[in-house]
Amino acid sequence: MPLPAPSPNPNPAPPDAGMSRRSFLRTSAVLTTGLAALAASLKPLLEMNDFPTMERFLQKYYKEMTPEDMEKVLKRIEAEVEKQYGIRPHVRDLKPMDGVEFVYCLNLTRCIGCRKCVHACVAENNQSRNPEIQYIRVLRLPHGSLDIEKAEHNYAPESVPEKGYFYMPVQCQQCKNPPCVKVCPIHATWQETDGITVIDYDWCIGCRYCEAACPYWARRFNFTKPSIPKERLNPDMAYLGNRPRRQGVMEKCHFCIQRTRVGRYPACLEVCPTGARKFGNILDPNSEVSYILKNKRVFIQLKEELGTSPRFFYYFDV
Amino acid sequence: MLRLVLCTQPRSSLVAFGGSARMRPVEGDALTRAGDPMNSQTRTTLVLTGLILAFLALTTLFISNLPGRPLRQPPIPLVNTNFLDTATVRRSYADLVRAGEDLSDFDCYACHEKGKPPPLRYDTNQNLIVPKEHSDIVMGHGSHGRNNNCFNCHNETNLELLQTRDGHEVKFADSPSLCGSCHGPTYRDWEAGAHGRISGFWDRSLGAAERKACVNCHNPHSPHFPSRPPAPGPHPLRPVATASVEPGPNH
Repeated sequence: MPLPAPSPNPNPAPPDAGMSRRSFLRTSAVLTTGLAALAASLKPLLEMNDFPTMERFLQKYYKEMTPEDMEKVLKRIEAEVEKQYGIRPHVRDLKPMDGVEFVYCLNLTRCIGCRKCVHACVAENNQSRNPEIQYIRVLRLPHGSLDIEKAEHNYAPESVPEKGYFYMPVQCQQCKNPPCVKVCPIHATWQETDGITVIDYDWCIGCRYCEAACPYWARRFNFTKPSIPKERLNPDMAYLGNRPRRQGVMEKCHFCIQRTRVGRYPACLEVCPTGARKFGNILDPNSEVSYILKNKRVFIQLKEELGTSPRFFYYFDV
Repeated sequence: MLRLVLCTQPRSSLVAFGGSARMRPVEGDALTRAGDPMNSQTRTTLVLTGLILAFLALTTLFISNLPGRPLRQPPIPLVNTNFLDTATVRRSYADLVRAGEDLSDFDCYACHEKGKPPPLRYDTNQNLIVPKEHSDIVMGHGSHGRNNNCFNCHNETNLELLQTRDGHEVKFADSPSLCGSCHGPTYRDWEAGAHGRISGFWDRSLGAAERKACVNCHNPHSPHFPSRPPAPGPHPLRPVATASVEPGPNH
């Protein structure tokens, strides 16, 4: 089928049409606007002060790195942190242990809602203090219901616990079937064999799909460059764990990889004054969590109807 | 192309910016009809100048990014390090011994006479009268004031020992077994690690774990876990109205 012939311009320009003042004004208006729009769109680049080094830019995907690559990367991170905070950290790349699958149990009868876990987590995991990034959100719920719609996390009484309420801390549930991992377009977040869903902060592009996919409001985004006071920096760091993040990447609870993968309890558990938090290896029949899941009234995995199968269990004493 | 249109349709600049070729003649005619050519040219210039100014204003707005700038936030104070403290609420006898601290509170025979059980005095409501030497003790163990006899737990013949209800002597350092003699299920949970605090290593092959005793959290004379001020909540970007949800029935 032949293409239709281009129709002749209905109003051809007169051959002597030069640039009149009017057309000059018009053209310059259009040009100015266009240039200004371009400048405005490029302006964020001016505010960028964290240009990646070539090394970081060319860094390989976590799972493709050889041990030598990783060693170089850890050295680079240590140098970067030292340059920024003046403290030489100890950054490690900790791999999951064999025969270990982590499970967290939280006793709702015991939790008094004191929020110590929230702040111990912030201190341990080098989260931004301003703006605040917190992995744990403690919900206050009226007794006799489990309606999250009635939850309140800005409670500020003189003392806790308050009569008629119970408290439910919510953090990353380390799902067995994690929706956040499914939506990540670049596999920057994945589930490790010990059940921890981790994020490679150097691979994350900050699209925030995972934040939208998570039914537990567990993921946090660094809208700005995180601000951590030097004196509160935790120098014991892990690559997939608590090393300082950059602006524009996601982060979330990772069961304190830098602690739990060397056998220690997570920070939120250590600080809990009531012992409401329990953590351990579910594959070990003698662990506390095995006992709890076998013997206690473990009543929920939060939003279990979604089929995410969390590794975070809430239980009651009675 | 744009320049062509602009040059050839001098009187319809408004429409030319809109890019709708169809409407050009109509609009042009309307403008022409509205007055003499000179007048319409002035109008066009005016409109154009207005448009340029508007565009420039918009551009300034874009570049200065006024609406997109984050609200100036008051600095968020760093959290009090008290809230990061992992110490237990109380210190047990074993803790004091380990820390080599003052144990004079446990030196009963500094005041009491050996071999002579101290007398217990009650008021008319059968409430124990706590002597002024022990004024720091609040008798709050058990409901309805029924647990009002010191020697339910203390050994009356040797005050430096405890005793279970069936007469087994228990040292202060082993107090959990005394607690367990009444609170069986809780004791079972505690032994399994499901009740109470454990700190240290979950992997016992890599390090030790310390199981805290009952008295690290509970005052034996008044065991209800003490209430405490909560750590500051999240600082919202904008002030929030705290939702008022009625407390539920207290179970």
